[in-house]
Parts: sequence; C-alpha cells; structure tokens
Amino acid sequence: MWKGGVRMKSECSSVSKLLDRYFDQEVTPEEKSLVEGHLPDCSACRMALDTMRNLRILIRNPVEKAVEKETFPWVWEKIEKGIQQKERPDLWDFLISWLDFTPFLKRKILIPAVAAVVILILITTPFLYKKMSSYPELSVVEYVESDTYNVMVYEPETPQVTVIWLFEGPEEEPSTS
Amino acid sequence: MRRKTSFFFIFILLLSPFFGTAAFAQVQVRVRVMEASNVGSGFDSSLKDLHDQLGSLFSFSSYRLLKDENVSLSPNRPVSLSIPPERSLELTLVDQHRVTAEIRVKITRQGRELLTTLVRLAPGRSVSIGGPSPKHSEGTIITALSRP
Repeated sequence: MWKGGVRMKSECSSVSKLLDRYFDQEVTPEEKSLVEGHLPDCSACRMALDTMRNLRILIRNPVEKAVEKETFPWVWEKIEKGIQQKERPDLWDFLISWLDFTPFLKRKILIPAVAAVVILILITTPFLYKKMSSYPELSVVEYVESDTYNVMVYEPETPQVTVIWLFEGPEEEPSTS
Repeated sequence: MRRKTSFFFIFILLLSPFFGTAAFAQVQVRVRVMEASNVGSGFDSSLKDLHDQLGSLFSFSSYRLLKDENVSLSPNRPVSLSIPPERSLELTLVDQHRVTAEIRVKITRQGRELLTTLVRLAPGRSVSIGGPSPKHSEGTIITALSRP
C-alpha cells in the first residue's frame, strides 16, 4: 500500500505536469494514454482538469460575446485599403465598358430605337433646312421701306449695333417733330 | 415598367424639336427712345451699353432717355407703343431661328406710315433707328431696339 501510494504519488506528479498540455490537446499519443489511464484513479487530477475546463468556459463566453458585438472597423479599413490599392482598371477597358452597345442590339430595343431615330430625322430635317437656307446671319436688316424719308442703313460688324438713319426726303413730314 | 419607360423616352425624344420651338414662342424686346444732342454732355446710366456702341458712330455729346419699355412679342401679334415725338411704333414677331428673332418694325405718325423695316435681332445685338434731325430742335430722336 505504501509502495503503491508512492507509485501513485509519483505518477500523479508526472501526470499533473502533463495536464495543461493534455487539456490543450498538445500531448503525444503515449502521454495522452498515460493521462487517460491515470485520471479514473486520481480525483485530484480530475478536479484539476475540471477546474481548467470551467476556467476556459468562464473566460471564453464573455470573449465570444464581445467578439460577436465587435464590428472591427479597422479590419474593414484594411480591406478597403487593399481594394483601393489594387490595380485600377485600364482607361481603354473603362471606355469599352461604357460604349458597349450589345444590350441595344437586342431586337426588342433596336427596332423601336431605329424607328424613333428615323422619325426624329424626318421631323427635324425640313425645319433645319428651311431655317438655315433662309437666314444669312450677317445681315440684320432684311429690308427698309419709307415713302417719307431717305434711308441709310449702317451695319458694322462691330460694335453690335445696326443703325437705320432717316434723312429728309422729297415728302417731308410736317415739322411738328 | 422598363417598357413604359422606354416608350416615354421615345415619346419625349420625338417631341423634342417642338419643345425648342415652344421655347422661342415669346421674344422680349427692349425699346429705348432717347434724345441725342450736342447740348451739354452725359448720358443716362440705363443707356450705358448703347452709349458705348453709338459713341463710336455718332458725335453726340449727350444722350437723354425719354422712354424705356420692355415688350413681349408673340408670333404674328403686333404690339404698338407710342414713342416721342407723337409717333407710334409697331413691332411684330415674324419668325424665329434659334436665338435670332425676325421682327417687323413699323413707325407711323397719325396713321401715316413713315418707315417699315424687317430686322433680325439676336441677344446682345441692337438696332437703332434715328433721324431726321428736326430743323428747330437741338436734338435727334433715336429709337433703339435690343434683346435682353
């Protein structure tokens, strides 16, 4: 009994040194079988192991809750920086993506679009041609008529003023003016 | 929904030329009547722009504002206003092209037509109708039409 007690005490001492690593699952298979063989016979080591488990639960629960609540803004900042630092798309690719007409080549859109353009051209063209052909922009005075006065039109390019000047003509206006 | 939007867009596109016409439906014309003379010197502050323009063409030393009126012209609707001395000015918007308005100007005195002219007024451009210099008066009446 005494001998057994000594053996037991010596085994317990060596196993208790392994308990931490056993708890963290860092022991070798031989060490693991040694600890697991010892635990059923040693209430002190079982208690030590239970204490470790309880301690872990006691620490882990609040930490896990805190982690769940935390958004880690610095992590997002780091991710965003990483995205920004990625190579920017080529200008040509960017232009191509904007000038991609393939969706418009679908029949559903193409036919109404072409029809609209044709109608627009048909409507606007006569107006444009009519107006442009009848308007020489340089001349401001189209015509002047006066039976009473002689008229002189002065149209300088600059300043932006055109003058129509009246002179006494053959049929003079009564001198009330 | 997308289909409706497409049709609406096409409808607006088709009507766009008419919106342009509607925008020019009314034309604002500023009518200023002034007496230009060589008696004294100076000019009314509201004639500054015209003084700068006319100063290079005439040698009058004084410009006195007699009338300043803004008229709104609608197509083919004559607008009449009396101008000194005892004359009537009739303005009719005949046509429009982009920013240029074609305006018929008629000056009458007691129903008698003194002058009829057709002018094209663009913003920033003015047409001045002046003379004749009255025999017994120091000044000459100038009627300036401009687009604000």
